[in-house]
Amino acid sequence: MTVVAEVDVAAEVAPPPGGMIRHAGLIWTLIRTDFKTRYHGTLGGFVWALLKPMSMFLVLMGVFSFLFASNPTYKLDLIVGLFLWDFFAEGTKSGLIALQAKGFLLTKARVPPWILVVTSIGNALITLVVFTLVIVIFLVATNHAPTLEGLIAFAGYCLALVAVVVGFALGSSVLFLRYRDLNQVWEVALQAGFFIAPVIYPLGILPERFHFYLYIWPPTPVIEFSRAALVAGMLPSLRGEAYLLLDALCCLVVGAIIFNRLSPRAAEYV
Amino acid sequence: MATPIIEVDAVSKEFWIPSVRRETIREHLLGLFQSRRFDRLQVLNGVSFGVERGEALGIMGRNGSGKSTLLKLLSGVYLPDGGQVRAHAAITPLLELGVGWNPELDAIDNILLIGSVMGLALKDIRRDLDEILAFAELERFANLKLKHYSSGMSERLGYAVAFKAVRDVLVLDEIFAVGDAGFKAKCERRYLELRALGHTAIIVSHDPRIIATFCDRALLLDGGRVVFEGPACEVTNRYVSTLTQPEG
Repeated sequence: MTVVAEVDVAAEVAPPPGGMIRHAGLIWTLIRTDFKTRYHGTLGGFVWALLKPMSMFLVLMGVFSFLFASNPTYKLDLIVGLFLWDFFAEGTKSGLIALQAKGFLLTKARVPPWILVVTSIGNALITLVVFTLVIVIFLVATNHAPTLEGLIAFAGYCLALVAVVVGFALGSSVLFLRYRDLNQVWEVALQAGFFIAPVIYPLGILPERFHFYLYIWPPTPVIEFSRAALVAGMLPSLRGEAYLLLDALCCLVVGAIIFNRLSPRAAEYV
Repeated sequence: MATPIIEVDAVSKEFWIPSVRRETIREHLLGLFQSRRFDRLQVLNGVSFGVERGEALGIMGRNGSGKSTLLKLLSGVYLPDGGQVRAHAAITPLLELGVGWNPELDAIDNILLIGSVMGLALKDIRRDLDEILAFAELERFANLKLKHYSSGMSERLGYAVAFKAVRDVLVLDEIFAVGDAGFKAKCERRYLELRALGHTAIIVSHDPRIIATFCDRALLLDGGRVVFEGPACEVTNRYVSTLTQPEG
């Protein structure tokens, strides 16, 4: 019932131990190719791409800083929330269509499908890293220099968000081959999700009884904890961090299970 | 007798074709209470054969006989529904020339991309760049984006990368006729060099000349089964004679 090969097909379905290292050259080339294609291979193209969230930030700041004038750190909170949200939205959208977009490699070549999914979020990840540098510079310039402890915690929250995005990308990419309007459904979910996550408003304006439900949406704890670590200079409770870790692991595991189950026959649905 | 490098044992593959195709969530929801029929399309049925190390095996058959599906099973692209495929060596599938070319990138970036997709290490691709471009006769156009290439130029580049990426077994699907007579002769020479180095080859083609010239042995597929197996010349003769008979 199986194809038994020197490079075993079943083992190639999910990231095998050491798979990232064994396929490092291919992973690097796919990310580099996506980057060059999207930004025309120039730094100018990349800077141009950063203008989208930057212009969003300026517009939202212009409008909502009046509404939340009593909050002295609103602008900083907004920029942190927007950049993390931008990574979540872009990463999940690219991941969802990854197998369909690179379907020719699935049907005509022998590429482990998980590589196509994981590398598809490379561009969003590069943008997140650049934005992190921008945010830190911005914080230092506004006399809110983050502590080393805060920066390490922020890196941990970003890793949790990456795990959420990878889990979603793995699961949704194989489902998208069977349900070709899943991307449209996700676009609608993202629009609603933008307002469920406290990107443009402080979570405190909502009654506390709703907070638990809002925290179920993974970007909410990441954004709130990142703001606490970077802007307010304090760390959330260990219980809160454990909840985020569990949330991220759940997304990753569920995504990997769906992917492992459906990806061996993905080429038949492209 | 040595163990075959590739063993195909009673392999079957079928596809279920629905009377109404539903590809979206909306279509699935709207059709929740409407039954639909699924017709079974048996593409391969109990196919068994082996390929020895260093051998060149040809696969022939009418359109729809299951040749390309068989190659996809051998390459690990599809999983069989029944039986087993055991490959005791690395396979380089070449199921379509120029697959994965990115038209927005130049030849060098595309060689790096496709070379790594085919399993080559980046340092090896960089080392062989000049040789690949020279084989494709495209040195002057190395920095030209692929979207400006003619189809012949893209195919030549595809061949040049593929012939560099060959590991133990080369799997070729209907792609042994590229470029002008000079380039064709160069490809054929390169193929013979690879064979002389001990590489195994599996070739699917409708062209009796290709199978008779480049294969030691061949299979004739019909209706998803192996109907004849033997020396390449005998199989091509049988194939030509089946073409003159009505399908049935």
